[in-house]
Amino acid sequence: MAGSDTVLIVGAGPGGIEAARGVADLGKRALLVETKGDIGGTPYEYYATLTPDLRETHEAMHEMVTAVKEHPLIDLRLNTRVVNSEGEIGHFKVTLQDESGSRTEEEVGAIVVATGFQHFDPGRETQMYGYYEYDDVLTLVDAEQMFKAGRIVRPSNGEVPERVAFIQCVGSRDRQIGNQWCSKVCCGIASKQSIEIKRMLPNAKVFIFYIDMRMYGFWEDMIYWKAQEEYKVNYIRGIVTEIIRKGDKLLIKGEDTTMGRPMEVLMDMVILSVGMEPSKGTLEMANIFNLPREEHGFIATKDGGPLDTVSTKVPGIFLAGAAAGPKDIEDTVSMGGAAAMKAVATLNRLALEVG
Amino acid sequence: MQKAKSIELEVAVVNGIELPGHWNRMFEPRVISEYDLSVLDQVTSIPGAESLGYCYQCGKCTAVCPVETVGDYSPRKIFRKTQLGVSLMDSPDLWLCTTCRNCLRVCPKEVNMIDIMPAVREQAVLEGKAPAELLTAFENTARYGNPLGEPPRKRTEWVKSAEVPVPVMSQVKAPVDVLWFVECYPSYHPRGKDASVALARLFNALGVEFGILGTEEKCSGDSQRMAGEKGLFEMLAEHNIKMLSKYQFNQIVVTDPHAFNAFLHEYPKYGGQWPVQHYTQFLAPLIDQMHLTRPLNKKVTFHDPCYLGRHNGEYEAPRDLLKAIPGLDLVEMGHCRETAYCCGGGGGGMWLDSFTRDYTSQRLSEKRVLEAVEYGADILAVTCPYEVSRFEDAVKSTGNGGRLEVKDIAELLAYSAELI
Repeated sequence: MAGSDTVLIVGAGPGGIEAARGVADLGKRALLVETKGDIGGTPYEYYATLTPDLRETHEAMHEMVTAVKEHPLIDLRLNTRVVNSEGEIGHFKVTLQDESGSRTEEEVGAIVVATGFQHFDPGRETQMYGYYEYDDVLTLVDAEQMFKAGRIVRPSNGEVPERVAFIQCVGSRDRQIGNQWCSKVCCGIASKQSIEIKRMLPNAKVFIFYIDMRMYGFWEDMIYWKAQEEYKVNYIRGIVTEIIRKGDKLLIKGEDTTMGRPMEVLMDMVILSVGMEPSKGTLEMANIFNLPREEHGFIATKDGGPLDTVSTKVPGIFLAGAAAGPKDIEDTVSMGGAAAMKAVATLNRLALEVG
Repeated sequence: MQKAKSIELEVAVVNGIELPGHWNRMFEPRVISEYDLSVLDQVTSIPGAESLGYCYQCGKCTAVCPVETVGDYSPRKIFRKTQLGVSLMDSPDLWLCTTCRNCLRVCPKEVNMIDIMPAVREQAVLEGKAPAELLTAFENTARYGNPLGEPPRKRTEWVKSAEVPVPVMSQVKAPVDVLWFVECYPSYHPRGKDASVALARLFNALGVEFGILGTEEKCSGDSQRMAGEKGLFEMLAEHNIKMLSKYQFNQIVVTDPHAFNAFLHEYPKYGGQWPVQHYTQFLAPLIDQMHLTRPLNKKVTFHDPCYLGRHNGEYEAPRDLLKAIPGLDLVEMGHCRETAYCCGGGGGGMWLDSFTRDYTSQRLSEKRVLEAVEYGADILAVTCPYEVSRFEDAVKSTGNGGRLEVKDIAELLAYSAELI
């Protein structure tokens, strides 16, 4: 029996969208399932602009979002979750549940899991940054909401901040927290956000406190050099270890490591560059599809190596994006295309075997 | 709000003992309590100094900065101190850079101290913040046309000891092939004059049709420009261009790499555009005609002048000339060609000896002489007029008198050609 001619894609972020579009463009039916009420995923929901090109997210993603919604071979199910899966390659029987609780069963030949990441919760930080205590300590995500609203103010008093500090590697690269990975994008996003702050508040003093700046490929000059050279953003090597309330300001304490001296400086606003962790959806799909996770907790690829980034250890199930580990949007979209290609190839191979 | 202070005191005395340099840092508050960005903003808003703000702290410059070998200094550190709010304008750091260009050679962000230093120094000079001994050199140059403060009419006195014709253009009244721009130290300094005599005899032996400006020549002014006196430089450039424009010649040959730099890159901006060669470049193609017959059985090492090598890319001509001398064994120091260390004389360093001495553990010339000795040289060959005097002093102060000689390449050639 040839098996189903449909590919299930779980998660409609940039990776899932690109995978669904790829499957449909290759002539197969794509069943795209998204728990939320709209597609576009984390960047579309939370980020005002994209890294590294600073394009407005909805405008930049408009083309791919529309393509998915309009494609005749894409069956988009919003507000829908995958709650069960049985069977195997060519014959997965998946149970979907919509928000009213009603369930349907679908048969699919291959699956792409594109359930992404969630931002690290700074409440778990060991350094006492006081995210839940101090109004003016934000995360990258909170800052994006301000950019969307077009107004950057200190939440504590509604005033425009004169001094803003980014603290890098919050929840990343930390054995105690259990996250022994670099989240890859936070250096770029902080640099991008610092440019946005300087564009909106040219007189603001913006600092980025970092352990290493990790600006891969073209991000180096597109955002890092641009932030420093054109927007006069101040990069200080040395991470902040704690934040203390001082009057109506925040005293950040750390070491300025290139000077080899302790550092205690007042700030109006602090933005925590929170990293990536496997999303709840990613953990759920790992369970439902019996997908082994790699040692950091993300879904493992087939051999864990660099030559196949999308195949899982379960035949017929593929990955796209941050479900497999920290990814930028470029990698996520590339993986979406690769996963679509491998999923369709799987269906084609099964058809040939029968023929 | 307490502001961050410079971490080094000029003088710290503990129990009657004066502590030098970086040991003083323990006496300043260590905690950084403010990044006063207005200082960096102020510096990088000076045209030419923008790139100081580009530094991303890799520290490549620190490893190659010659001043760092005798102090606590590098462009990276200057950027960081400025970012902390320490005024570069008021810091001795502003005057320690010799503009040797070794940092720019390795800098991935093109933080350009060759532009930054003269730009910021110009501002400091205008604000009256230049060290006194540098101002003396500026005043001498403005008044006498040379930083040594020697009378202008004595600029051609060395010619007498040449004992060969050294035509002065105002008396020649005919076109020449080569206009030899002699410069100040080769005109006035005793050891500089020795090299000028040697070069005059070489020109005569080769039958070069040449002339000098004589008393119409003033300092090219390039080092004064790098030390922050752009106005003075412009005055000198205009004067020299006016004088040179009176005469017909095919090309300029200079003794001094700093003048070479000025004629190549700066004088054209003021309308003075002529083909120019350093004398080693002029002589190198003429090796076969020089009759280098007297052997010099010595180990010779060559110190690349910053403004001939790194600034202007000439490494071969001096070496070709040295290798043409029979018996001469050319040994290279560890730091040579692109990586050569500075003698300390560039960028105004020539006139800041006492000032620099207060902030460094050793003179750069001493450091370099020790390197020449380490590599077993009998003779340290030079081809920049700043160097003979600097290195000869350094030979003495490091206790290497009688062990290492310092000779201009012109002197070595003239010796081998039996002209001196």
